[in-house]
Amino acid sequence: MSGAKILVVDDEPQIRRMMRATLTSSGHQVDEARTGEEALEKFRQFLPDLVLLDLNMPGMGGVEACKSIRAGSDVPIIILTVRNTEKEKVEALDAGADDYVSKPFGMQELLARIRAALRRAPSSAESGPQRFVSKDLEIDFAGRRVRVHDKNVRLTPKEFELLRQLVAHGGKPVPHRELLQAVWGPDYGDETDYLRVFINHLRKKIELNPAQPKYILTEPWVGYRFAIAEGLEPA
Amino acid sequence: MNASLRLTLRTLTSVALIAAIVVLYFRFLQVNVTTVALTMLLAILGIAAQWGLTESLVASVAAMLAFNYYFLPPIGTFDIADPQNWVALIAFLITAITASQLSIRARRRTAEADARRREVERLYALGQAMLLSGSVRTSARDAVNSIMRTFEIPGAVLFSKVEDEFFRSDQQTLTISDEQLRWTASSEEPLIDHQRQIAIVPVRLGGQVLGSLGFIGCTLSTAALNAVTYLVAIGIERARSLEEGSKTEALRQSETLKAVLLDALAHDLKTPLTSIKGVVSHLLALPRNAAEEELLTIANEEADRMNRLVVEVLEMARIEATKFHPERSPHGVSEIISAAVEAQEESLKERRVTVQVPASLPDADVDFEFIQQVLKQLLDNAVKYSPPGSPLTIAAGVAGEKIVISVADHGKGIPEAEQARIFEKFYRGRASRDETLGTGLGLSIAKGIIEAHGGKIWVTSQPGQGSIFSFALPVSKKELVQ
Repeated sequence: MSGAKILVVDDEPQIRRMMRATLTSSGHQVDEARTGEEALEKFRQFLPDLVLLDLNMPGMGGVEACKSIRAGSDVPIIILTVRNTEKEKVEALDAGADDYVSKPFGMQELLARIRAALRRAPSSAESGPQRFVSKDLEIDFAGRRVRVHDKNVRLTPKEFELLRQLVAHGGKPVPHRELLQAVWGPDYGDETDYLRVFINHLRKKIELNPAQPKYILTEPWVGYRFAIAEGLEPA
Repeated sequence: MNASLRLTLRTLTSVALIAAIVVLYFRFLQVNVTTVALTMLLAILGIAAQWGLTESLVASVAAMLAFNYYFLPPIGTFDIADPQNWVALIAFLITAITASQLSIRARRRTAEADARRREVERLYALGQAMLLSGSVRTSARDAVNSIMRTFEIPGAVLFSKVEDEFFRSDQQTLTISDEQLRWTASSEEPLIDHQRQIAIVPVRLGGQVLGSLGFIGCTLSTAALNAVTYLVAIGIERARSLEEGSKTEALRQSETLKAVLLDALAHDLKTPLTSIKGVVSHLLALPRNAAEEELLTIANEEADRMNRLVVEVLEMARIEATKFHPERSPHGVSEIISAAVEAQEESLKERRVTVQVPASLPDADVDFEFIQQVLKQLLDNAVKYSPPGSPLTIAAGVAGEKIVISVADHGKGIPEAEQARIFEKFYRGRASRDETLGTGLGLSIAKGIIEAHGGKIWVTSQPGQGSIFSFALPVSKKELVQ
């Protein structure tokens, strides 16, 4: 794989040194930023293909920086942090991060995640369903549009891909691992917490009552299922 | 000027006034008897209204005698020829008595109203003083001083039951003994000794006994005494609640501080580890010879081990040093179990895991992440201490108002002597001491988490039969209501 332009954002100089050396020797082109503010500036100048973002920085923290970058770009963002709680993870994913790696990490694992994030492509819209329409929900897969009760709802690329995968299985349960691999990449499978977060987001956006979902159902032990039959009730 | 001298002077003045009227009418003005009687009546009325009963009675007797002697026929004698003239004499007396009574009553009312107004003003001043005090001690001391100052009494003493302390204005309050104060505090009634001018009143607020208050040289009304003690009670309670509030706040702040410190420590310990791990893992992926491979592998494994230690030690510190508050909400037990099993998928790969969860099991009121962590720890231990390939069982059920979840293995079990100790910090079972992995903190962390949920964790084991680790968790309140 040809090298990518990677922006490393971390306030710790030794970590920036280590990242620059290892990523450069793996064929990537690296630029550094020490703070969230500097990251936004470097982002405009360097135009990276991917951002590695520390959460815990003085001044503008990683979460804010992540939101600001995401507001204007679809660039993959991987959070690198010493904190490893569900709360932090949810906060980072909420802010628009694609992935979350806790420090310390093995370089091979990080490189694999970078590869997976860079591979993220505008997914094959021609395969799978084109449209889903029910009384209160309308999904246009080709046009990447979702309407709930005749109102447009904005989904992030990951949320949209997740929804597409669920609908494509035509009402059958999709196992966690399969969903993760289809949406995040082949090296994924254990990150069920990602699914919990993104499924919650999806439910909040398309379900009338997210606590008692009508479309996106949990299949205990297995995964998730999109209830097509319920969605096609006669109006 | 003392009271009796003043009375004598007033009485003499009254008699002189009557005499002046007599001289005026007898010597200078020739008027009829009725005019003389009315003038005297006016004078007596004036004396009664202005001064009092004694002065007006003396004046009316003097008027009666003078009227009789100088104006009623036969003039110049004390005889009364016409019985109708008795009416005039009795009228003098009745006027004197009635008018003086009325005026005395009116004056007494004014005096009472004045006294009450003064008391209210003083109570207000005391209330202000009480509300400005800081701690319980200073407000007790301030209360005593303010009472003395505002009510102008020589001494006061406050007994505070909670602190069991006596706050005395000075030595002369020792005429009220500690025992009297204690005794009054626990009695319903105030103790008032008019002779010694001492009053001791229990201080209560909302049925709660706070202590008692003693007054020396006390002239306050019972109502005022009650109001004073009520104000003091409010002042002290206010100071106490303020003190407790700031204590709680200080405690909370110190907890926050500890949490922040631990967070900073985690960051500072993990940052160099991140660099080491990054470098070593990168070098491991490059071409290398056997010796380099071995050395790098050791460095890599040790970096991992160091990281585990840091994580577990900090987690233990967090649970112990700060009041660890799980974020609890209702969660399905099977969801927690499946999340834990999925997370440990790698190590459970060659195990048959049986899960027994009744469909009717209520939700547990727990922090999902932490309970999942406990389950992962128990699964991890079960895998570590039972033969490869042997089956594991996870079961859940209800016992009373608790949900009990257990993990059973078919390992060699835990000797009874060790069963109580395995939840202790850094304790490692005989069988596992030689292993390099593990910190001896896993089960103590699990115990800390379960206890923070108001639950408990225990083990039952028979050597050779395997072990069952169980923990009890509260059922979600929502479920109990339903």
